[in-house]
Amino acid sequence: MADDFPPMTSIKRWLVTTNHKDVGILYLATALFFLLFGGILALLFRVQLWSSGGVILSDSAFNQSVTTHGLLMVFWFLSPFAAGFANYFVPLQIGAKDLAFPRLNALSYWFYLFSGLLIGISFFQGGTFEGGWTMYAPLNVPMYTGMEAATGGNTAILALTLFTISITLGTMNFLTTIHRSRAEGMGLWNMPLFTWSWLLTVWMMLFAFAALLAALLLLATDRILLTQYFATDQGSSLLWAHIFWFFGHPEVYIVFFPALGIMFETFQTFTGRRLVGRKWVIIAMVLVAVQSFLVWMHHMYLTTINLEIKTLFMATTIGISLPFDLMVFALIYTMVKGRVRFTTPFLFSLGALVLFILGGITGVFLGAVVLDYEFRGTYWVVAHFHYVMVSGVTALIAGLYYWWPKITGKMYSEALGKLNFAVYFVGFNLLYFPMFLAWETPRRVFHYQEGMEIWHQMATVGAFVFGLSFLIMFYTLGKSLVSGPDAPDNPWQYARTAEWAIPSPPPLENWSGRPSYASGRLEFVDETPAAAPATDGGSPASDGGALTTADAVHGTLDQAHGHGHEEEHADHASIWPFGIGIGMFVFLLGVSGLTPSVAALAEWLDPEWAAEAGISGSVDYLYPAITLAGLAILAYVLFEFGREQFNAPEMAVAERWPFEGVGNTKLGVWFFLASDVVVFGAFIGAYVFMRIYAGWDTWGPVPDHTWAGLLNTYILLTSSFTVILALVMAERGNKKGLIATLGATLLLGLSFMGVKAWEWYDKFLQGDFWFSGLEYSLYYVTTGLHGVHVLLGLFIAVFMLYRIFTIDAYLEDSRPVEFFGLYWHFVDIVWVFLFPLFYLM
Amino acid sequence: MASVRLYAIIYVVLLVLGTSKFVFFTFDHYFTYLAIDPYWGAMGATLILAVAKSLLIMAYFQHLIDEPRSISYVMGMGLFMVFLLTIAAGYSIQ
Repeated sequence: MADDFPPMTSIKRWLVTTNHKDVGILYLATALFFLLFGGILALLFRVQLWSSGGVILSDSAFNQSVTTHGLLMVFWFLSPFAAGFANYFVPLQIGAKDLAFPRLNALSYWFYLFSGLLIGISFFQGGTFEGGWTMYAPLNVPMYTGMEAATGGNTAILALTLFTISITLGTMNFLTTIHRSRAEGMGLWNMPLFTWSWLLTVWMMLFAFAALLAALLLLATDRILLTQYFATDQGSSLLWAHIFWFFGHPEVYIVFFPALGIMFETFQTFTGRRLVGRKWVIIAMVLVAVQSFLVWMHHMYLTTINLEIKTLFMATTIGISLPFDLMVFALIYTMVKGRVRFTTPFLFSLGALVLFILGGITGVFLGAVVLDYEFRGTYWVVAHFHYVMVSGVTALIAGLYYWWPKITGKMYSEALGKLNFAVYFVGFNLLYFPMFLAWETPRRVFHYQEGMEIWHQMATVGAFVFGLSFLIMFYTLGKSLVSGPDAPDNPWQYARTAEWAIPSPPPLENWSGRPSYASGRLEFVDETPAAAPATDGGSPASDGGALTTADAVHGTLDQAHGHGHEEEHADHASIWPFGIGIGMFVFLLGVSGLTPSVAALAEWLDPEWAAEAGISGSVDYLYPAITLAGLAILAYVLFEFGREQFNAPEMAVAERWPFEGVGNTKLGVWFFLASDVVVFGAFIGAYVFMRIYAGWDTWGPVPDHTWAGLLNTYILLTSSFTVILALVMAERGNKKGLIATLGATLLLGLSFMGVKAWEWYDKFLQGDFWFSGLEYSLYYVTTGLHGVHVLLGLFIAVFMLYRIFTIDAYLEDSRPVEFFGLYWHFVDIVWVFLFPLFYLM
Repeated sequence: MASVRLYAIIYVVLLVLGTSKFVFFTFDHYFTYLAIDPYWGAMGATLILAVAKSLLIMAYFQHLIDEPRSISYVMGMGLFMVFLLTIAAGYSIQ
């Protein structure tokens, strides 16, 4: 309740908030912290590179710095910074009051924060991961180091896994929100371009990050449980490259699209005209989003994949540059047709465009197979992707200056902002352009040949100038916060999206009337019974419509500031997302140190194998204890999270194409399942790939008893039947029937796990363990992931039974039973494929 | 929402299809009468049945048949990603 909600000056507010604007601010602040973290690491290794073979860092410290810099900037700064803007402004731009699942949104943030803290801690666990941000196999497994030395690296991998889970939750949330919470009259075509760019970003994230999650889970099992996915010479490095780059290339656009959206918004605002070819720009973005999944093998030209597929992917890579050409020309022509105002946000956006053009052109070289043979692994690649990625950063900083007055309610000094841009632009080019000239320098190595020193020294000076520009930025914004003049609702005159039609900063509930574009322009409808049926504002529709002036925008403000009215109460506070974040943090911290204990177990189970593999470990009690503590915390907080009454009402009137007729939560579950299809698919795909690599007939089924798999098939199919009967019972309000069918599902699930446990035990007795060889790893891990899904389903079933017993849950609202069923049937479908793959073929 | 009777019929069909997979591999020599390699014949038939089973579960137990078509497309996209990755990666090492 807004009245009970702690004020912004209270620490408690920031621990419990689920409001999208607060979460957006948390994302922005945290991302800036990680920018500093990654930036300081960059300065460290740039100093090391002042001369060939520099000495301020040890070999390992250099590798750790380079690796963590890459990971932090790509994962913990770029996307989360964009997510901060998206959290704050996407609901405002589409006319929503919050995201579809506010608690899930807070949970995404806490997972993000705690995953970053894990990265920080990993430095103090004997050193963090040092295999490069691409984590290529076999450098990503500790086969060249002792088990004890693996802990910090494990923490980094688990941190990235947690980050990926955070992204997946955010993706489900934004997809549901944008597709089902748009204000009346706001069709997809009319959405503001930043929201469009974010919508496509989250669509790409849904599938790309699922592949990354699969890769990281496999890597984590290798590092912690000693499985063999990435430690063999039987296709391991190719397997990693395929799954990683299936994620990694869309990731480039995932990072860049929000920046592009900000460029579109700021170009429109500061040229005072609609983006030229707006519709075609949207089509081009959609094309890029689709094509982004068709180019990943251009990162693998130097591997042993065949020439035909390399040639095919060269063609798709050239193809993806074409829609970008359209977007670049649209921006340029918008400038030509408009009257440019060189404000700080525009300067940063223009700078981003210039840098992106350079980055894009230099990337075309790498898309060509023959040229890539020469450039791969050199500073050409480093220079190219920094021109692309950091041009994205440049546009994000444009976004920060653009929306700063809206977020804080304060204006900043334009003079300082322009000084910031000048130093930034000079520093950027001084840092990265010499890398093109020193292109023969090998990546991730601090020894380079004579004659390169001048370019590296220029780059190092540039790095410090670039770093200085960020200090100027913090000073400018800090000064604004302390003593800047109050910002008007719309300081940019031609800003046209809905966030500029409400006060700066916006009120907690965003708007008191209901935003509507039904008439073709933004209006705020007062829905109190006594009120007039509709109001009339002066602002046109989203940025797809005609231009408006500040006066026109202000015309809507009387309504936006307007009087309150009766509406469904929405909650804004829950402590449990924070609690779950802590639980996951403690749990993963504990898991990171289990490798030595698992090694000791492996040594005990199979001394011969351990001696041959050079594996030895010792049982450690600290990390297992931390793991158990984490599990205990998670059990408690998840239970309370499930019990908590939290109201996040769906919008009564909204545009919902193409997902009308399905509720928010159900749609969210479907998005989760679509993502899980890719996770499981990547696991199964890994099995198929490795078996093809080994020669399909080389391996047979690992389990000895086909009947056990068949029995489990019957058990799971029967449990699917009992779950569907549970839904029928819930719909009929039949409590006994509901308890009986859900209870039967629980028993069947336990039976499934029992058969699986027996089957594994039987294999163990024969000396076939998960680490015994690649085919065993594939069997245990894939069926193990399925088993974990069954187990999670059983926990949910137990919780639901508890709720039925205690509060007669689901008898009046059967939807949660249906949602559980969707998940359970999905787990069943996965088994439909696992049974033949692992027991018959 | 379908009736209990329909759910029961689907369940029985699923059990039969599940058993058939086992049968194909146990009596795979019958594929030789169709001039098909026994192993690949059993594998092909089994995968077809697996797809059929999945479609039945999705359509009737997960009620995709009653949901907006767009949800089927979302799941289709996920499946497309899996096939794309697996087939292209598999082909790349031929």
